[in-house]
Amino acid sequence: MNAITRPFPYLLLPIWWASRNRARRREKGDLVRGVLFGGIAIAVVSALFAGSFWVTWQAASYDELGDYLIRIGLSWLFLTFLSFLAFSAVVASLSTCFLSDDLRLILAAPVASRRLFAERFARTLAQSGWMVVVFLVPVLGGVGFAKCAPWSFVVTAILTIIPFVVIPVGVGSAVTLLLVNVFPARRARDILMFMGLVFATSIVLLLRFLQPERLLRVESMPEVTAFFATLQSPVTPLLPSFWAGEALFAGVQGGSDWLHIAALWTTAAAVVVMVGAAFERWHFAGFSKSQEARKARFAQFHALDALAAWLPLSPVRRHLLIKDLKVFMRDVSQWSQLLLLVALMLVYLYNFRVLDLDRLPYMSGVVKNLYAFLNLAMAAFVMATVAVRFVFPAVSAEGAAFWIIRTAPISLRDFLWSKFWTGLIPVLLLTEILIVTGNELLGVDPFLKRMSAVAVVFMAFALVGLATGLGARYPRFAADNPSQVAGSYGGVAFMIVAVLFILVMIGLLGWPSSVYLFSQVQRRALSEAQYVMIYACFGTAAALSMATWLLGMRTGVRALEAMDRTPA
Amino acid sequence: MIAVENLVKRFGKFTAVDGVSITVEPGQIHGFLGPNGAGKTTSIRMVAGLLKPDAGRILVNGHDLARAPEAAKAALGFIPDRPFIYDKLTAGEFLRFHGGLYGMDGGDTNARITEMLEIFELGRWQHELVESFSHGMKQRLVMSAAFLHRPKAVLVDEPMVGLDPRGARLIKDIFRLMASRGVAILMSTHTLEVAQEMCDLISIILKGKIIAHGSVADVRSMAGTPDEELTPVFLKLTGGGALQEIDEIV
Repeated sequence: MNAITRPFPYLLLPIWWASRNRARRREKGDLVRGVLFGGIAIAVVSALFAGSFWVTWQAASYDELGDYLIRIGLSWLFLTFLSFLAFSAVVASLSTCFLSDDLRLILAAPVASRRLFAERFARTLAQSGWMVVVFLVPVLGGVGFAKCAPWSFVVTAILTIIPFVVIPVGVGSAVTLLLVNVFPARRARDILMFMGLVFATSIVLLLRFLQPERLLRVESMPEVTAFFATLQSPVTPLLPSFWAGEALFAGVQGGSDWLHIAALWTTAAAVVVMVGAAFERWHFAGFSKSQEARKARFAQFHALDALAAWLPLSPVRRHLLIKDLKVFMRDVSQWSQLLLLVALMLVYLYNFRVLDLDRLPYMSGVVKNLYAFLNLAMAAFVMATVAVRFVFPAVSAEGAAFWIIRTAPISLRDFLWSKFWTGLIPVLLLTEILIVTGNELLGVDPFLKRMSAVAVVFMAFALVGLATGLGARYPRFAADNPSQVAGSYGGVAFMIVAVLFILVMIGLLGWPSSVYLFSQVQRRALSEAQYVMIYACFGTAAALSMATWLLGMRTGVRALEAMDRTPA
Repeated sequence: MIAVENLVKRFGKFTAVDGVSITVEPGQIHGFLGPNGAGKTTSIRMVAGLLKPDAGRILVNGHDLARAPEAAKAALGFIPDRPFIYDKLTAGEFLRFHGGLYGMDGGDTNARITEMLEIFELGRWQHELVESFSHGMKQRLVMSAAFLHRPKAVLVDEPMVGLDPRGARLIKDIFRLMASRGVAILMSTHTLEVAQEMCDLISIILKGKIIAHGSVADVRSMAGTPDEELTPVFLKLTGGGALQEIDEIV
């Protein structure tokens, strides 16, 4: 058989073979990672199923209004996914169709454009659609179970989801094709990364500020229809999300809506045919252009150089700091993730602001202080997540350039401590803002405010030290991006240790704080034994933090010094 | 077998390749020489079908690359300077996939893969993952892939980078063997000894333009240094006189 007539799935063989080889040759920590991520996945899927079941069950008790809510809710859910899929496809197709390394191999071979399109489109579809499908299956399952839908609902769901995913992915791919023919691909990727994150951030903020919790209040029931009515617009019935919602709503009631299913399939077919034709016509021109982006525009950050010159640092540490910061800030895919983090922080703090604890007059004091501990735990988890994503990959980020450090006349201890301080300052600032503002908005006891603020400093040292050390102990110099490093064996190990550390710390801080607060509420002086226990707990927490910090760093320095291979 | 006519490539206002024309006949090894940034790799990548020329025509085995890209590419083998290989595939799997791209699907594919791996001294690594290979081994694997489908013409970009002397010797012998079987080879290189030893014809490119073309002897006489090695000839033609000054500074 000639390659020119060979079906396109042949081009997917390397992915299949590579997955098979990876599964055969297990790496250290695969089992731990599998169990951990598998457990998280099962928990998320179960929660989605239970949540959608509960919401549908509740809505169903309102008869016609309930049906209306389910119908419009489905349409709204699919509208969100429609935009998510289109954006995701724009980014994914940029990588699969223009920036992927294997294109240099495939394009030098006699592979017909239409087969290349089919294969790349399948990849884009899988990359951008899997999350939506994984999310939709338990959600629709929950809706189906709550409404006692017949088995034909499963068929309707399959017939609806497939074309629904294909349409936005096709449109997204077409947008990329257009963009790459106008801008160089690497520049387009930066622009898209940024746009995508702005999009995600606005969705998060919009969802939060719509205050969906209003809908849960019985007295606000008349507002519900008005709330959903604002989400409808004259163009909604023309969107595939509306067709999918209608088809599934008919399916869940045991009927069928062939008109909207047909609309989905014919649109999907038309989109694929049109994008395929456009791909054949303009792909090579776009790919060729993507090879030409030789000169990138970038910020010089002269102010950073000037600022670093004022810092009381040795020349080595100063230059390591400048290098790390410049590399970070010039990589859009890195710093733009902070945007999402800031949005999540705003939502988090906003939640405290709208928390109406005064509705519980007798308990508000206790609950507020309980929330203060929740706030501390949450801030610590945020810190661990930020550390695993930004600090843990710090050594691995040196990548193939690590030989420069190894051959330079600096000690690996200096190198690693420089990484530690570079990571500590932003993590500490971020978490302190979170904890101080959160406690201020809650109006917690001043003792708890001070205790939380100090505890965060200790925890920041411990978690950043641990992340830096374990990042050096388990480096992944060959990783394509920091997310891969964060998801590696060492990253998972760090998260497990970090979670255990946080739980122990909350225990060590929580018990003495509660003893102190209760004595305040009861206006009773603390006994000497209680004072001793309080100081012992706080002292243990401080010692545990210091030990985690210093041992983490020491293990990292030793691992670097013992490293027998330098990537090149 | 490979005919390049008036090839032009611009990157914005910068003209990287400016009217390059080269012909490589069957059985011929054509050396493509030039200093860094002269336009060698850009030209090679255009002939390989990875970069779209702004003007000019490329024919491989009589097929116009722009009009019949699949037919042209089917006759071509390409050895890039920085090759991509799937790290998680074994050498055998990589060659099988690569052969499939060029239409190799018969029962003799496995025998051909084994033969090529033996020729390039990778036989015992057939079932090992590529990620465990050294740079030189990866280079040899890419070369065995390029010759796997019995191409009529082969493009080579910097073939000796990262090869040990034994590997380099092996590659030279194989290239000669393939040329003797009628394969046309267009090879860009910095290594002037390689060009001198192997090439029937050489073209020297500078600032995107061919400034000298012919046999090694022809180029020597063009430079007015008929008795010298190729290195001083190259330096004279490409303005390497500055090296003298650098030597003084250092």
